[in-house]
Amino acid sequence: MPTSSPLWEFVDISKAYPGVLANDQVSIKLYGGSIHGLLGENGCGKSTMIKTLSGVQQPDGGKILNNSQETHITNPQDARAKGIATVFQEFSIVPTLSVGENIYLGNMPSTKFGLIDWKKIHADASAVLHEMEVDISTEAITGHLSVGEQQLVEIAKAIAIDAQMIILDEPTAALGEDEIETLHRLLRNMRNKGTAILYVSHRLDEVERIVDEVTILRGGKVVRASGETAIDVNQIVSAMVGEEIAEHYPKERNAKDTIVLEAHELTTSNGVTNASFDVREGEVLGLGGVLGSGRTEIARALFGVDPIISGEIRLEGKPIHIANEIDAIEKGLALVPENRKFDGLFFNFRASGNITAASLSSLSRLGVLNLGVEKQGAQRLIQELEISALAESKTVNFLSGGNQQKIVIARWLFSDAKVLIMDEPTQGIDIGAKLAVYKLINTLTKAGKSIILISSDHDELLAMSDRIAVIQHGTVVRLSSAENLTHNDLVRASAAKTNQQPLEVTA
Amino acid sequence: MKRIFDAQLIGPFVAMVIVAVIVALTTERFLNPGNLSNLSLQVSIVALIAIGSTIVIFAAGIDLSSGSMVALLTMILAQLLKFVGIPLALALPLILLTGGLLGLLLGIITAYGRIPSFITTLAALIAFRGLALTFNNGSPIFSLDPMLEPVFYGKLVGIPLPFFYLIFFYTCAALMMNFTKLGREIYAVGGNPAAAKLTGINVRKVQTKTFVIAGFMTAVGAVLMSARLNSGSPNYGQTLELQAIAAAVVGGASLAGGRGNILATLMGAMTIVIVQNGLNLNAAPSSVQNIVLGLIILLAVGIDMWRAELSTMLSRLFNRSPSVQGNQ
Repeated sequence: MPTSSPLWEFVDISKAYPGVLANDQVSIKLYGGSIHGLLGENGCGKSTMIKTLSGVQQPDGGKILNNSQETHITNPQDARAKGIATVFQEFSIVPTLSVGENIYLGNMPSTKFGLIDWKKIHADASAVLHEMEVDISTEAITGHLSVGEQQLVEIAKAIAIDAQMIILDEPTAALGEDEIETLHRLLRNMRNKGTAILYVSHRLDEVERIVDEVTILRGGKVVRASGETAIDVNQIVSAMVGEEIAEHYPKERNAKDTIVLEAHELTTSNGVTNASFDVREGEVLGLGGVLGSGRTEIARALFGVDPIISGEIRLEGKPIHIANEIDAIEKGLALVPENRKFDGLFFNFRASGNITAASLSSLSRLGVLNLGVEKQGAQRLIQELEISALAESKTVNFLSGGNQQKIVIARWLFSDAKVLIMDEPTQGIDIGAKLAVYKLINTLTKAGKSIILISSDHDELLAMSDRIAVIQHGTVVRLSSAENLTHNDLVRASAAKTNQQPLEVTA
Repeated sequence: MKRIFDAQLIGPFVAMVIVAVIVALTTERFLNPGNLSNLSLQVSIVALIAIGSTIVIFAAGIDLSSGSMVALLTMILAQLLKFVGIPLALALPLILLTGGLLGLLLGIITAYGRIPSFITTLAALIAFRGLALTFNNGSPIFSLDPMLEPVFYGKLVGIPLPFFYLIFFYTCAALMMNFTKLGREIYAVGGNPAAAKLTGINVRKVQTKTFVIAGFMTAVGAVLMSARLNSGSPNYGQTLELQAIAAAVVGGASLAGGRGNILATLMGAMTIVIVQNGLNLNAAPSSVQNIVLGLIILLAVGIDMWRAELSTMLSRLFNRSPSVQGNQ
């Protein structure tokens, strides 16, 4: 719990970029032994604040106090020297190097001959990982580890430099439920040892679980200073958005009885075993389960990415064979991929090119595109989905994450797909944009389209699905109406996975 | 029209005009009608081959094979005309077909064999030159056909034919890139192959098609090369592939793929040829020409990479605040 005087105090920090005041007199006090949540929607000034705190940029105004002494953080090296470690959303590990090398990258101990002291690196790195109660070999190649483990290596880097303050920017964006648990346990340990932790996240459910105090930013200003808000999702949300949100999840029930897509005892070589489920017209079928439970693999099998060894897929009653992605799309399936940056968007195109990318055949005659129809269709969707007006004139890299995600989904509205597989559709976008995606899901189901929703956000999955198939070890262990399931049921499925992991290894 | 003549053309166009003005001011004979007509002859072969090189680059590939392929195709053409005795009217389409097929082969190896195009076409660069040497004991073949020379030197309403070839092929390429499904697919594959695959674009097929186009355009260049000297030689086309890639790069095509305007490549090729022409008229040795070409490539890519810094610098120079948006 907070000691009497703050370890770091940031007073009235302001930072302007051309045309925008990104931080307007933001003050934050960080105490040793406390986890401090910094929250706000995209564009509220969180990233700007983190950049100032970690020495990436200099503030235009304000004071920085370390143990009540005024100081400056001149650059990232200086920040580290002063005991501030930052774990950015984009990892700064080198995937081809070993875990030990990554932990000491930048300050490798050397022998008296000026060569790298490998023994010391691995011994010290082991000590750090041991302290963290993490079971990762220092010799392992970092790129071969799971995303969660890589995240832990990032944190190990911070511990290795003996950081008194650690800043985590969206640390759980790519983690599964059990990995989040590991991370949270580690953070609590660090807190108990007196480290100050600044925790930035979009996932309010987990913020609620981990932070001791919150500061909320809106439009570059502090709207709720530490202690002014209870750690409660609803209160936090209304402070962030600036208005009472009556319905966090505006779920509409549009499911009909007609079965559109049916998977019967689906088995693939990469972990899907005898998975059976069906999706109805206008229904949202949620796939619940942890990272690695086989959710993504089921989606891949449906979309023709991984070959099916046995079992059958039926579309509108007829057995179909899906040879590859092109085949899947022709048959009316669509995939909104988990990683919109790498797998979804064409950053060299404007919104229109992105929206029509899956419909080029129907948009052309004898190979010549009908650009008029393209423009009209894209404009209509940009308006309907309330996508930024910039989208028509600029390539999509200039748009926010929420707008980008809407564009990826709009692609399948334009192509008139029957079944949409949405893999983590609200990952890394702010509350406002999440709401827009939920409304979009309603629009889609109302139009009779079926949705297979994969989400690690259990509250979202429970609220937005009509039925949920709980996935464990690549198979459906339970299929029931979302109303009959609780957050606990889903978490327990992940706990079961953790318990059985040793069995899997020996099998 | 707005689509074809977009903002990406401004930079290369300005660069070309600046270079032309400098050369015109320093070199007396540059603006002679004879020299200007000579320019279009000089630029034609590299500019036509550069259409293919650029389209391959748009799809995030690279084609290093064109120089050697030119040599090989001129030798095949010479063989057909001189020793096999096939009439010119049949030999020319055969050469264009062969070029397309060689491109198809390279495309298949690259896209379906999953060998990076840099390696595939580097291997072809070496092997095609060797293959060219297997004809006629490695000696050039001269005086192929009296009707061949007019293909290059002929004139229509007083303007050299290669000028019309440039207009024709660049118009076709610009229409294809901006108004057809294939053009859009090429940009999509170059911009993000993973996303292209998940949107149902046949990435490998599209990549292969770009190499077929490149092979075909190389064959067009080879025919002109043969016609220009009425001969075939295993030594033709040395470094032509690099000049073609340089034209694309000076024209602003991103080697990462997905971005660029095909017409800018023509301007890039013009810029390079105008510089070479200026150096020629001032009797600069070829060593200097090569050094200058190297510097032009560095400068063109440099300006592209340092665009943000340069615009900040320029706006400071004129004492205005930069209009660059800060990112949070």
